[in-house]
Amino acid sequence: MKALALAFKLLFRDYRSGELSLLFLALIIAVTSVTAISLLADRLQQTMVTQAAEFLAADLVVNSTTPISADIVQMATGLNLQQAQSIEFTSVIMENEQLLLAGVKAVSNNYPLRGQLKTSLSDYATEQIQAHGPERNTVWVEKRILSALNLKLGEQLRIGEKALTISHVLTYEPDKRGDLYSLSPRAMLNTEDLAATQVIQPGSHIHYFWQFAGAPEALAQFKQQLKPLLNPSQKLMDIHEDRPEIGGALQRAERYLGLSSIVIVLIAGVTIAMSTRRYSERHLDTAALLRCLGSTQAQILTLFTWQIILLGVLASSVGCGLGWLLQDFLLHLLASLLPQKIAAPSLLSIVFGLLMGIIILLGFALPPLLQLRKVSALRVLRRDLEPLPASAWLVYGLAISLLSVLIWQYTHDLRMTATIGLSGVAGFVLLYALAYGLLTLLKPLLPKLSLAWRLSLQNLVQERSTSISQILAFSMALMVMQLSYTVKSDLIDNWQQQLPVQAPNHFALNIFPEQVHSVEQDIQLATQGNSHFYPIVRGRLTAINDVAVQRYVTKDSQGQQATERDLSLTWSESLPPDNTLVSGNWWQDKREGVVSVEQKLAENLGIKMGDRLTFTVGSEQFTAQVSSLRQVHWETMQPNFYMIFAPGNLERFAHTFLTSFYLAPAQKAFLNTLVKNYPSITVLEVDQILAQLKTILTQLTTTINYLFSLGVLAGFTVLFAAITASLDQRKHKSAIMRTLGANSRLLNTIHCIEFAGLGLISGILAVCLAESVTWVLYHFVMHLEYHSRVLLWVLIPLSASGVIAAAGYFGLLKVSQTTPMQILRSL
Amino acid sequence: MTRSHISETPTSLIEVRQLGKTVNTATGPIHILTDINLRINAGESLAIIGTSGSGKSTLLGLLAGLDLPSQGEVFIQQHALTTMDEDARAELRNQLIGFVFQAFQLLPGLTALENVMLPLELSHRADAEVVAAALLQRVGLGNRLTHTPKQLSGGEQQRVALARAFVTQPRILFADEPTGNLDRKTGAHIIDLLFELNAEQQTTLILVTHDVQLAQRCQHTITLEGGCML
Repeated sequence: MKALALAFKLLFRDYRSGELSLLFLALIIAVTSVTAISLLADRLQQTMVTQAAEFLAADLVVNSTTPISADIVQMATGLNLQQAQSIEFTSVIMENEQLLLAGVKAVSNNYPLRGQLKTSLSDYATEQIQAHGPERNTVWVEKRILSALNLKLGEQLRIGEKALTISHVLTYEPDKRGDLYSLSPRAMLNTEDLAATQVIQPGSHIHYFWQFAGAPEALAQFKQQLKPLLNPSQKLMDIHEDRPEIGGALQRAERYLGLSSIVIVLIAGVTIAMSTRRYSERHLDTAALLRCLGSTQAQILTLFTWQIILLGVLASSVGCGLGWLLQDFLLHLLASLLPQKIAAPSLLSIVFGLLMGIIILLGFALPPLLQLRKVSALRVLRRDLEPLPASAWLVYGLAISLLSVLIWQYTHDLRMTATIGLSGVAGFVLLYALAYGLLTLLKPLLPKLSLAWRLSLQNLVQERSTSISQILAFSMALMVMQLSYTVKSDLIDNWQQQLPVQAPNHFALNIFPEQVHSVEQDIQLATQGNSHFYPIVRGRLTAINDVAVQRYVTKDSQGQQATERDLSLTWSESLPPDNTLVSGNWWQDKREGVVSVEQKLAENLGIKMGDRLTFTVGSEQFTAQVSSLRQVHWETMQPNFYMIFAPGNLERFAHTFLTSFYLAPAQKAFLNTLVKNYPSITVLEVDQILAQLKTILTQLTTTINYLFSLGVLAGFTVLFAAITASLDQRKHKSAIMRTLGANSRLLNTIHCIEFAGLGLISGILAVCLAESVTWVLYHFVMHLEYHSRVLLWVLIPLSASGVIAAAGYFGLLKVSQTTPMQILRSL
Repeated sequence: MTRSHISETPTSLIEVRQLGKTVNTATGPIHILTDINLRINAGESLAIIGTSGSGKSTLLGLLAGLDLPSQGEVFIQQHALTTMDEDARAELRNQLIGFVFQAFQLLPGLTALENVMLPLELSHRADAEVVAAALLQRVGLGNRLTHTPKQLSGGEQQRVALARAFVTQPRILFADEPTGNLDRKTGAHIIDLLFELNAEQQTTLILVTHDVQLAQRCQHTITLEGGCML
């Protein structure tokens, strides 16, 4: 306790003398940014998951062709989970002598558990948000049902044996899926009316969706207990697995949040490390004096550790408060883009910010503290006596271990932690070696340079260890800024490519070969665009290398889903535009009996190049050899195929065509004409799904842009800390130079050249490192395509040089305006 | 040690009129120097003595233009330091003044030779290296030219500082407790060297010390107490 009291006293004296201001400021900045990002990331992530859960209308869904057992329902009730259900099937509706295949959906009173329904009462009325589905005896329908069946609001629509009053036009349903039941025009009724329709008979093709929502812990427990209870016809769905077009974007956005957090942690660490170094350098004399006065090494260590902890607690508390305000302010800025309800911050992320501050401080302050412990008492007499350096392994090992723990804590992603950690260590060693090499190369050039150039570069070369530590700090800051920018831009580009303007938003299926020409003409006339027609043969994959395919299938896998039903087989002369060949070649010499397989399905079923696949079409069996594997971007929501054959292999089988096209909202009436002219054609509308997707991607983009700005802001704090940390030494040199007669112009030139040089070297190293980390991240973690940005190779070193030179110039401007005596006395 | 030592000739190299320095603190202003008047002619040597905190080093800083007074004037070769800006004072120092500090104040990143060359390079002398090397030879460090301050002992560092002070052949040399950081024997060697170089170059010497014996080697002495000349 005595040590704590003494530590507090000394700390207060340090504070009074202004010694603590810089470290305190650096800590506050670091903890503020860490807390803000931690809270922001936590809240946005929770919000994103909640928002994304809308796409399922629940947190978890069990999809089944039969009602689920009472045990499951009871288990969910026991865990306090909210429950709802929807039942989907197709049904032919006839009104006013018109027939229409409708996607009927019966929903329970609690539906939807997540998200909302939207309806309108006329073309011109604004949309109304509905928390729940139709009342008993009423039905909500999409507008196309009204126009196709010549119906109006308030009239009766008969579904099976039950006549229901059309009370609303349904304009939005959160969990609309891209399958036949969902994409035929929707009629929504209450489950309590379902029995009266008498549509559901034994053997009817029906999909039950049992929906659950609740606390994350309860959901996790439910999921775990539920899995063994499900039979093969029942499937558990959550947002990551079952909406790949959303899940992929969400996962990448979550990783970007993780990456941003790491960036901030790294930067905060470097900022604190730079400031702590200055703090410990300034405390060498105190440590020496304490040794003279009889303190043991252990006492000195205890004393300084207490001081650091006290400082950490104080500054972190202030930082936490400011961080809270900052994230609140940022969320306020984002308010118009985010869903109305933002998830509440968890207490853990607030406390985590506080702990973070203290842990980072100790991680970076402990090694210099260990140095202070070793200060010789003789230093009191000889001020130039340096303490024994702390082991580099100890310093960097401790810092890297702590950072790795923090990164893991933030991301809960071992792979990402390992990737960042290992590339961080490799990058650090590489940076050190490169900086050392570059400075060594400069040395022989010095005698040939003019005085200002020589003196400034001499500073860099002679004080190599100081220069390298600054270069490392600058490079690190610049690297993370570039990394944030690159990943951000590529993510956004990737999403924009996923959803280009006027991406096809309608599918037409079951087009007979003789209809292709006229359908193509009609579509062209209506949309002013060209559509590609894909032939479709329905067939089943039955064996791989003559072994029944069931032997290769694992439960609930993509392979199981693909082999338990008919696949859409197609042929094509060219590789579809969204597909990428990952092995093999597109059709060359051999065109007979060859097939190209989608890569993920191939992995799932263990299909390799050259394997013989057996297919059954109708009653006929045939084989084909795998000649290539393709990567398919399913998230683009374009027609994509597991199996593509070379032309000439499938033409003999009965086939229909599939096409996709873009239709603006105003052109919707064309769909009725199309269905009327070609009754066999099924039209699927994915425009609503695309609109949903666009909304969520826009929100993610905005969020990521703000996170990036925070990263840049944090980057500037490290630049500031690194420059400030070296000011004492530079002020001292400048004061001596002024004493010897150097004028302010010469001093300013020297400072500019020196800092510009530091910036240039740091910029070059930062670009090298950032590009390497980006490649590793894209390749192993984010699964994005890597491409180098040439402009950054020029822009980063030059702008770093300019910005750091300006910061250094202004930081030292005071030196030329203060008398040498004042400077020498203040140091 | 009275005012009688102050020269009254019109050719004074340094002239100080009613010089004062006041520092404002939280508890009120502190008068570090009050009403200092003196004249020093070219080639003379003057010791400033006094107890710690009597204002010796402050007076030296003001005389050399390293700091600005709160009241009064300092003239060097009839140039009023207070009317000059910091750059003009720096130029004046480069042309006329050499310094030796108690804490040596060598630039840590430069070698002994580079430290000594620096004042010559600041006045764009082409022969800086030759002149600096010769002077280092003269102070007995001919074999330590490429050593940095960290590789030199305290006495050696002060000899480098002496060489740097004399390398421009200054008209005035300011020495602030030049032996303060050295043991007695090394200190004595440094003082001998300082006076030898001073005699060789006929430099005007202003020396701050609390060592009365050392002060007696100067032609004149002034004593400060509580910021006032006795």
